[in-house]
Amino acid sequence: MIQRYRASAGIMLTPAVTLIGIFILLPMMLTVWLSFQDWSTQTPFSSASFVGLDNFREIFGASSVGRDFKGALTNTAIYTALSVILILPLSVAFGLMVYQHDVAGGTALRTVLFSTYMVPMIAVALAWSKLYSPSEGPLNQMLGLIGIGPQPFLSSPRSALVSIVLLNVWQQVGYFTVLAIAGLTQIPGSLYEAAKLDGANRFEQFRFITLPLMRRTLLFSAVIAIINAVQVFEPVALITQGGPVGSTNVLTYHIRRVGIERAQGGLGSAMAVMLMLSLIVVVCALFALANRKDQE
Amino acid sequence: MRRGSSSRLPRKRPSGRKALLATLMLLVAVASAFPLVWMVLSSLKTPAESMQVPPVWIPHTPSLDAYEKVSGVVNVGRSMWNSLVIASITTAGILITSMMAGYAFAKYHFPAKSLLFSLLIATMFLPPIVTLIPLYRLVGSIGLNASLAGIIVPNLANAFGIFLMRQFISGVPDDLIDAARMDGASELLILFKIVAPSVAPAIAALALFAFVYHWNSYLWPLTVLQGNADAYPIVISLSRLLSYNRGAVNTGLVMAGATLAVLPPLILFVLLQRFFVDSIVGSAIKG
Repeated sequence: MIQRYRASAGIMLTPAVTLIGIFILLPMMLTVWLSFQDWSTQTPFSSASFVGLDNFREIFGASSVGRDFKGALTNTAIYTALSVILILPLSVAFGLMVYQHDVAGGTALRTVLFSTYMVPMIAVALAWSKLYSPSEGPLNQMLGLIGIGPQPFLSSPRSALVSIVLLNVWQQVGYFTVLAIAGLTQIPGSLYEAAKLDGANRFEQFRFITLPLMRRTLLFSAVIAIINAVQVFEPVALITQGGPVGSTNVLTYHIRRVGIERAQGGLGSAMAVMLMLSLIVVVCALFALANRKDQE
Repeated sequence: MRRGSSSRLPRKRPSGRKALLATLMLLVAVASAFPLVWMVLSSLKTPAESMQVPPVWIPHTPSLDAYEKVSGVVNVGRSMWNSLVIASITTAGILITSMMAGYAFAKYHFPAKSLLFSLLIATMFLPPIVTLIPLYRLVGSIGLNASLAGIIVPNLANAFGIFLMRQFISGVPDDLIDAARMDGASELLILFKIVAPSVAPAIAALALFAFVYHWNSYLWPLTVLQGNADAYPIVISLSRLLSYNRGAVNTGLVMAGATLAVLPPLILFVLLQRFFVDSIVGSAIKG
């Protein structure tokens, strides 16, 4: 019997494991290997030649390759930090709005918030590049109504990256709101009843019950938000092409430009490895921080 | 004492709070819906209306002219068909591979099971850009670049699907499966005839997720197609409209294109949002 199911397990697993092995795990190992090679993306893997740490030296060096990469790394870090800082509190606030029982319409709000998450980025880019338009864009017209002067949004290096963050927060916050609601439903109502009897006000209930019990959800949301944020590509590729003056040149866009369009496969792979390492460090640090808080 | 003081202010405070909350919720909903509503309204304006100062928010004589003009710029029919083919075949593949692997992880015991599962799940957290460069070369070397197959084949299995299916198939009673085995049913037959119907909502959720994700996907098709416009999905074809986005005169045209791209995933979502939301909640809680 056992033997028979072992064979069945093999059959059941073969399609998925083969596909993921060939198209995800193998390329991941190739990325690591290529990061130590001099290799043009236009040529077969066999034409790669080992260059040790040269690619890493170059992307962190003083040449234009190094400057561009370090700029992209910094932009991605800023972009990621801003996204997480905006998305997490908003998702909890919106989650509380949807989940509370005082006012009807929570489900409708959830539908509206989540629907933006279904919209393809091309439509978001087309619509927002118009909304952000400095001269005839509706956002500046509305700001004008409340007495704020026209903002340059995407056309100034000072505000372009933040404008792209806002566009992405708008699109993704509904997804994280649903995650927050999932976390809120896990908190036993009896805790709030007990706190009310002890005279805790709404803020105290939030501070001492909701937030601590949401920690696991928030950790999960933060990890997903970080991984989503480093993937930002379409609004940059479609609207800003990394500009103005490199201010929106983020890693996914930059790595693709170097590794595919310029065919510098070795350099691009070294950048991809650095992205992966940075992600691992940040996510591990988050988990360590959460574990330490748990022990307190 | 505190209890006393809060009961001394009986109705007034809660109703004020309710009004404030209702206002806040309305504001959030309006802000969230505004870009898409504005997009659809603008697509119905005439060029003259688009250029009017001060701006016209709601078109006086809604017209579909802009939608006709989109098909002059972009091959809408062909691109929609490409998107449909990509999203449908990819979704079918993901469903089959995820159900099979999810069943194996939920119901079989085999060596190194948890190690293999962890390895697969780890790929869920890998940003696609990390593997893009060698994947591009790999797909090229098996002759699939610049084709629909090149977009589809690498995406026929994914970790999220396996994870979701394992979670839900674990909940199917072993007795049900054992009874079918007694009757001599093969394992594949058991999976598709007995297990699948009892996890139908999860399958629906995964199907919708996969379909919308691959309808919207941009980075990989753009990379693998190498400019072969015949195989462009709609989201890539429409990027041509960006060059029309300077000045107000073509706003209607651009927004009509954007609306066309939004409609299929949004209609699916509105019809079946319960499954979407349930599966996100399921993957978050059970994870």
